[in-house]
Amino acid sequence: MVDQPDSDVLWARALTHAHNGSPALRGVSIGVREGEILAVSGPRGSGKTTLLRCLSGQFRPQEGEVWFNSTPVHTMGPLTRERLRRDRFGWIDPEPVLVPELTAWENTALPLMLRGTGRRAAKKAALEWLERLDIGGCARKRPYALLHSERQRVVVARALIGSPTVLFADEPTAPLHRAERAHVLRTLTTAARSHGITVVLATHDADTAELADRTVTLLDGRRVNTVHLPHAPEAEGRAACSLSV
Amino acid sequence: MLALRLARGARPAVHLLRLLVMAASGGTGFLLLCVLGHALTHPEAPAKSLLRLAWCAAPLAATVYLAVTVARTDPATRPRPGLSAIGLGPGRLMAVSATTTALCSVLGSLASLLLFLYLRSDPADLPFAGDAGRALAPGMPLPLPATLTLLSLVPAVTAGAVALALRPAGQGPWWTLLTGGLGSRGAPRTGGDGRHRADGGGRPQSTQAPADGRPRSAGGPDGGRPWNTRGRDDGHRTTAARHGVRTRARARLRRGGNGSHALSAELDAHAPVPLAPAQEHDPYATTAPRAVPGGLPWGAAVLAAGLAVEAYASRSASAPGLVLPGGFADSPAGVLTGWLLTALGLVLAGPGLTHVCGRLLQSVRPGALRLLAGRVLQEEAERLGRPLGVLCAVASGAFALATVDSPGARSAIGPFTTLGGLLVTGCTVLTLAVVVAEARDSRAHTTAALVRLGAPATVLRTAALLRAGALLALFSPLTLAIAALAAAPLAD
Repeated sequence: MVDQPDSDVLWARALTHAHNGSPALRGVSIGVREGEILAVSGPRGSGKTTLLRCLSGQFRPQEGEVWFNSTPVHTMGPLTRERLRRDRFGWIDPEPVLVPELTAWENTALPLMLRGTGRRAAKKAALEWLERLDIGGCARKRPYALLHSERQRVVVARALIGSPTVLFADEPTAPLHRAERAHVLRTLTTAARSHGITVVLATHDADTAELADRTVTLLDGRRVNTVHLPHAPEAEGRAACSLSV
Repeated sequence: MLALRLARGARPAVHLLRLLVMAASGGTGFLLLCVLGHALTHPEAPAKSLLRLAWCAAPLAATVYLAVTVARTDPATRPRPGLSAIGLGPGRLMAVSATTTALCSVLGSLASLLLFLYLRSDPADLPFAGDAGRALAPGMPLPLPATLTLLSLVPAVTAGAVALALRPAGQGPWWTLLTGGLGSRGAPRTGGDGRHRADGGGRPQSTQAPADGRPRSAGGPDGGRPWNTRGRDDGHRTTAARHGVRTRARARLRRGGNGSHALSAELDAHAPVPLAPAQEHDPYATTAPRAVPGGLPWGAAVLAAGLAVEAYASRSASAPGLVLPGGFADSPAGVLTGWLLTALGLVLAGPGLTHVCGRLLQSVRPGALRLLAGRVLQEEAERLGRPLGVLCAVASGAFALATVDSPGARSAIGPFTTLGGLLVTGCTVLTLAVVVAEARDSRAHTTAALVRLGAPATVLRTAALLRAGALLALFSPLTLAIAALAAAPLAD
């Protein structure tokens, strides 16, 4: 077994995972250094989300190992992994999933309140984070009254408020327009850098990957160094069958 | 046949629910047959038989309520984007639901007929002898038309009610007139159904689900699109515009774009914005806070009126004629009207009371636990409150019946009254359980997100327990008080 490098906060070796038989990851090894922003790129279906879920302890990999700060994650029980997610990890979904019954600040403060922080302190921290992400005015609105980009920013604030050690962002800007995409990403990366939060960012967007310190590319569940897709040929049988329907 | 195939492939829990619907309709059918037997053996007193028939309305209503709830929450007949695309839209699914329900009811009715015939053939072994045994009319030929009419009543009513409750939205004004604007499938405020559709049929509901069902963008081809006819129409796109988009995408592909993704990204980027009314693609559109259920004042008024009518009627000389079958105490019409009004009041007040309960739960500086418990209860008030009110009404009725019956022992409750009471109670309890499961399913998406955040399972479980406890704390004293008030005039 190879020892974990000292600078790696999160480290995985030969991860293999299949969803009900369909292979998603086939022997992926990866190391995440402390404080860096690592982009995991690759086209859809290349196993980015599965990798992030394995790393964050949501899935237990069928083969391979995941280590966090010299602690094995792959051997932990569900309750320990749950506590690890709550205390040390942050997670951002591609779609903003907020609790629809709670207001924006309550949604943001939820991780702190779940850890047992008092209501007043949690509210103060949540309002500060919302202000920092330029949505302080929406603090008392419910998710249905927010714009999609504002919801995603609330999700970012919710992920950052607990100052996690590692933040997993699974295509955080997928549902957004380009301008909002850049804004959300910039706030996310700036906040992460200023607070020393390690970020693992799944993206299929080359522009997004540029913001990261390092990029790891996945293709069909394997780690590759460069993606050389075959040059798109002319559509087969195009002369006979037009696509312009 | 499709209904049969869909029914066969369902999960065991769904089969169990259907079996229970079958049992309920079987029980109701048995009671109806007993009324027929009573009429056969007592040809001199048609009024009494008619009264018994009228009392069968209560189990029938409970059965229909249960059948409609089970059909509404049945996953087999929930609208699915794939089925809608091949032409199995809301209309056909409604027909499938109604057929499945009718099938269950018919089977139940047949079982009840068999049981009735078996008991008639050998009345000596009956658990209830004497007067009750005579209601089975042993030794008398059973008239076929009457039997068929009575047995087809339950399947016809349940199937009709299911079809009415699950009718597709936007069927024109006569539907609305006919049904008084009751919630229907596809209406934005149908509670669980609406929210399920807004969440997208194929979206993973648990953390273990693979990520492939995830809608990538609001305008994705299969992500979160409700099956409403309006949503399906993307006629805004002209042929020329689409051709242009694809040509540009292909050009970008040739320049070295990123596989199929470049095409879809390009198509997404150029998707016309008004593809459909925005709220249909917005998963949060159905989560706007609902108006506070307004039935509380009405419910309280009707409840008070019912209690007053009852007290007033019991003071006056008891009018003979209306006797509970099975020989329950002389119950004057006024008292029965009072009971009915009380029950109606409870049903009307249920959602309002549930909302108040949720509001109290999350008041005064709540932490995460009370916040989650209370707000969710407030949102689910409309859905949970109605069956809760029905259950309270039934429970208070049963309690009042028991208190009145036991001390004076004016007469014993007959086996048919017991069967009817069991049917009504069982159906209401089951309906509440089904609705609770429906509410939980509709929140599965949010729960999964909370679990991803690392919310402890104990917090979620405790929140659910807290909700149940709060409802119990509010509704059980209320039920007991109303039952005591309702029983007081009769006891003396």
